[in-house]
Amino acid sequence: MSQKSERRGIHVDQSELLCKKGCGYYGNAAWQGLCSKCWREEYQRARQKQIQEDWALAEKLQREEEAAYASIQGAQSQPSLTPFSKFEEKKTNEKTRKVTTVKKFFSPSSRTAPKKESHEGKAPSPSITRQSSIETDRVSRDFVDFLKNLQKPGREIHKQCRAFIENMANKKDLGADELSECVQDFYQNMSDRLMTHFKGSTERVERVMDQVEKYIMTRLYKNVFCPETTDDEKKDLATQHRIRALHWVTIQMLCVPVDEEIPEVSDNVVKAITDVIEMDSKRVPRDKLACITRCSKHIFNAIKITKNEPASADDFLPTLIYIVLKANPPRLQSNIQYITRFCNPSRLMTGEDGYYFTNLCCAVAFIEKLDAQSLNLSAEDFERYMSGQASPRKQEPEVWPQEDAGAGRSPGLTQVYQSLDLLTGLGARQDRVLEGARSLESDLISWQESVEREVQEILEKYPLEIRTPASAIDSDNVENDRLPPPLQPQVFAG
Amino acid sequence: MTAPRIDAKVVMLGKESVGKTSLVERFVHHRFLVGPYQNTIGAAFVARSLQVGDKVVTMGIWDTAGSERYEAMSRMYYRGAKAAIVCFDLTDSSSFLRVKFWVKELQNCEEHCKIYLCGTKNDLVEADRSQRQVDFHDVQDFADEIKAQLFETSSKTGCNVDKLFQKVAEDVSNTDFQLITEEAGVDLGQKKNAYFYSCCHH
Repeated sequence: MSQKSERRGIHVDQSELLCKKGCGYYGNAAWQGLCSKCWREEYQRARQKQIQEDWALAEKLQREEEAAYASIQGAQSQPSLTPFSKFEEKKTNEKTRKVTTVKKFFSPSSRTAPKKESHEGKAPSPSITRQSSIETDRVSRDFVDFLKNLQKPGREIHKQCRAFIENMANKKDLGADELSECVQDFYQNMSDRLMTHFKGSTERVERVMDQVEKYIMTRLYKNVFCPETTDDEKKDLATQHRIRALHWVTIQMLCVPVDEEIPEVSDNVVKAITDVIEMDSKRVPRDKLACITRCSKHIFNAIKITKNEPASADDFLPTLIYIVLKANPPRLQSNIQYITRFCNPSRLMTGEDGYYFTNLCCAVAFIEKLDAQSLNLSAEDFERYMSGQASPRKQEPEVWPQEDAGAGRSPGLTQVYQSLDLLTGLGARQDRVLEGARSLESDLISWQESVEREVQEILEKYPLEIRTPASAIDSDNVENDRLPPPLQPQVFAG
Repeated sequence: MTAPRIDAKVVMLGKESVGKTSLVERFVHHRFLVGPYQNTIGAAFVARSLQVGDKVVTMGIWDTAGSERYEAMSRMYYRGAKAAIVCFDLTDSSSFLRVKFWVKELQNCEEHCKIYLCGTKNDLVEADRSQRQVDFHDVQDFADEIKAQLFETSSKTGCNVDKLFQKVAEDVSNTDFQLITEEAGVDLGQKKNAYFYSCCHH
């Protein structure tokens, strides 16, 4: 069974994978079939346009909000705008601010009006990348809605984020590390300010920071994910090739405590594979991390069911390696780099997500460095498997019996043989199915031919004769006028 | 105003089957699962908060794979860790040899990470003195040499387990001169300060 699932996957023609522009690089469905370079060139203008539109929209929103705030605060003769950075000033104003807050609950103009307009304002903006722009719009709207609850500082946070994104748009030429530094500095500044504002309530700061990260990274994603200035793309390809070359690695070689014969376990394995592949489709680092965590939870489940006890790191890491080998997740290195560069660092250093992420990095490093020793194989075998000259499955019947002489068969080996038998059986059955399919196909073809032939024969036997259409029966009567008038009905009275 | 919160990463190191996970399991869930061969039990990541004075120390405890084949990767795990609990089995002398490997690694790569040596399965040794394969004085000498604290614990009886983690939490909160140092872990400049500060303290 396990070997069978290794072959799972869709095979596409090489040419379909190439960039649609024909530059020779590989394309990507997420980039509408273009390679990263062509995609960037193609959509740079569209993105620029969108950024400008969003900017205009945000400004509009802000003007509206400011107008709303001003109308209240004007009545209280307060300064209309307290900059977020001036917290000192704010503290002194605390008393009045509270009054404002309370008052706001009763005043319909400040909260409801801008909200309504924000939805109207978010009319679909024309863009080539419809789907992503919908997502971006949704994220922006969520962000604005979230910040509304924070009231005044919320507006300032919004302003800061906008300015930062705008600023980043002009920094496209910077290297990935510099970009990362910019973003990390921004996180740091923002959370420091929030810390002062929320007076040390870590939970509230984290909540806001999560939203800030989501908003910023959704916007910046296209510019900073796998940037041209790095060799991330090259590394992605290298890792992908490496994993493909290691297709022969089995559960037994890695000592993975997972028994895929159990349907529930193989179900969890499939889910784990799906999750780690799904990571590539997310844009926010935190969402990517969530995929890794979900994948890890499925792995724990699989181990727990197999071993009947909760898993430890000694069980978990090999299983994760196995899952990565089986999944061959797209753009793995780019994703890891992206998370490392742009995730809120506190999440990576501590916390559960950070732990699983570290394990994933570890798994990738292991796969890169993997050699004969790490699989308990001899160097020659390893070379042969890697070069494709031999496959462990074909080798086993010849190699193992000799080693068996002294040691006796391990249960793992028996299982391997069972699986092999099963595979052979499945292979034979598949051959039969294929044969059946082929004969069905030829039957269908000959049936179609016979029908065609019959139709043809009948057509030849009874050729279609086109007769001249019958005209009105009396059309060529020349002497119409000599006929007597038609009989009229007569009424008999009696 | 909430109590100041300190997040600390604590990493568990040690050879396979020395009982890293049992130790964590004991500490977090106050339980010990009995079985013929308990390689490891419990999840690989757990978080638990301890009150130290007026502060709350939240320890994220990272379990690591002890197998030698992952040795090259182990430094990924202890990056930014505040404390490392290096475990060995009191009834297995080879497990203590591996302790020296990790200690060396930690001293090289993560010099500001506090090291705690932890001899596990104390209950077996208590029950039968002849089971002891690692001499207490050897370990104590080694601990003094590397300036590490030494604990002999039993996850089965719970002996010394809470004491170990309480000590870790206290040390973390004492060396933590800044209340919020979550970001400090990646900032090299700040780390130097932390080191400098701890020097002045001791």
